[in-house]
Amino acid sequence: MALRLGLIFSTSGSYAALGQSALAGALGAISALHRAGTIEIEPVIRDPGGDIAGYESAASDLLDMGVRHILGAITSWSRKEIIPVLERKDGLLWYPCPYEGFECNDHVVYLGAAPNHHVVPATDWIATQGMRRAYLVGSNYVWGWETLRLARERLQAAGIEVMGERYVPLGSTDHAHVVDEIRASGAECVCNSLIGPSNVSFLHDLSTRDLARRNWPGHMVSFNQTEADLDALGPAADGLLSAGSFFEEDAGPALVQAAAAHAPNGRASAFLANAYAAVEILAAAALRAGTDAPRAVFAAASRAPSTTAVGEIRIDPVMRHAALAPRLALAEGGRFRVIERAPAAIPADPYLARQTGCATRRKPDLRIVR
Amino acid sequence: MTRFPLHNFAGRTAIVLHPSEEPMRRVVERCDRLGIRALPHSGELDRDTAAAADMIVLDIDTGHDGLFPWPAGQAPMPLIGLVGSESPGRLAWALGQAVDAYLPLSALGNLFSALVVAHETFARKPERSRQEREIARQRAGRLDVIRAVLLLVPECGDEASALKQLRTMAMVEQVSIEEAATLLLAKGRTSRAGGR
Repeated sequence: MALRLGLIFSTSGSYAALGQSALAGALGAISALHRAGTIEIEPVIRDPGGDIAGYESAASDLLDMGVRHILGAITSWSRKEIIPVLERKDGLLWYPCPYEGFECNDHVVYLGAAPNHHVVPATDWIATQGMRRAYLVGSNYVWGWETLRLARERLQAAGIEVMGERYVPLGSTDHAHVVDEIRASGAECVCNSLIGPSNVSFLHDLSTRDLARRNWPGHMVSFNQTEADLDALGPAADGLLSAGSFFEEDAGPALVQAAAAHAPNGRASAFLANAYAAVEILAAAALRAGTDAPRAVFAAASRAPSTTAVGEIRIDPVMRHAALAPRLALAEGGRFRVIERAPAAIPADPYLARQTGCATRRKPDLRIVR
Repeated sequence: MTRFPLHNFAGRTAIVLHPSEEPMRRVVERCDRLGIRALPHSGELDRDTAAAADMIVLDIDTGHDGLFPWPAGQAPMPLIGLVGSESPGRLAWALGQAVDAYLPLSALGNLFSALVVAHETFARKPERSRQEREIARQRAGRLDVIRAVLLLVPECGDEASALKQLRTMAMVEQVSIEEAATLLLAKGRTSRAGGR
């Protein structure tokens, strides 16, 4: 059986590193399936260059060519651009990235971490560290808005004071005022939902102007930082805590080989691992279904857990999200070290219907007033 | 600061009224993932059954007068209407029931949005009713305002001054201008009655 797979990743532009990592995972899996003689998958690659206007036309072209499955989109904005085309032309998007939740479209399979896999464990961790003050900063679009809304709710419920909340335009590196505010606020922890160049320059600026922060584990908390663009952060990333479903230390030989062969930075990340697993799940489901018809493939993919390079993955047939085992990792010397990991996969809860408040509530500061 | 609408429905109960198996199954499954206990129901709803629910998801195509144990438009809980046919007659029936949110059957994946909108719309109904009653009361009092102004014109000199005087009285008494007018007219009647 032969299968055509559209790969829409921005491997150039402002968040190219993430697209390159995901594309490497997909190409690695396609090569491995070819070598094993499992299935021949023809990749049809499109690079929108980080330009939001390019996603809809890329998806439309692919579906017009007869491609029924697309693996791709990094940002939620780009995913939402592709969805109407999928609905109109009956395609299926395999989305391999962490996202903010509150979506469940019949033409998408969500394979990245949902908010109960990233914001919830990360804010629970903050609440257990004795921190009193937090500051929130994010890119000015739905990822930043929703992750930080949830973080704010959970931190405040845990008795942690939110000293400020700022959003900067996508791609902007004009955030000196945010660094000033953070330093003036005395925030011990910054929840950072910036992406791309904003993230890199913000971490460098804060780190340069406040060198001591690097010594505090968890002084910076991210819900999507991976090895895909960790090198760009350099020592500024030291002490950064990230939440996600995969970190490089868990990469097996298949992912290491894919990274070495296809990733420009040679590193395995959650983007690479999830894209690799997406291709494996799609291939197995198409073979079981005996067709590439999206509904039949999804039914086969969600009927039973799939064996992948990151372990067994179960996809909820109703909510269409993968169950994942969340991990927390601290960045040190350019690598992530996992400090906490869930013992088993947890079903995604994209609408946060089953979450309670933070596990720990900090006691209020009481002092004698004379 | 932005006030967020209710967006967690875990622990609530929904009655799902739909005659077809597939839409019923999909709504029930999705409710389950959102932490909502969905109770499938066919036929008309009695008051005891309805009392067990926090919301109702209903099929507009097969909805009919007498489906609910309450007068049209007076549901005591949020109603989410599933739109199949877009015929004006069906939509008119749903509007008559004051359905709080509409969800096309082709978009059941967006049930969450419909639940949020329905609960927010329903929650605003008492305030809207109060505002409507207030507007009706103000309209009913317009004639008294005119009469009160005319009563005051002889001592104030003109209508503008008389209206200003009436406003001042309302402010002092901390009542609406309509209530001030009614009070003034009643007082005037009493004075006139006493003077005879």
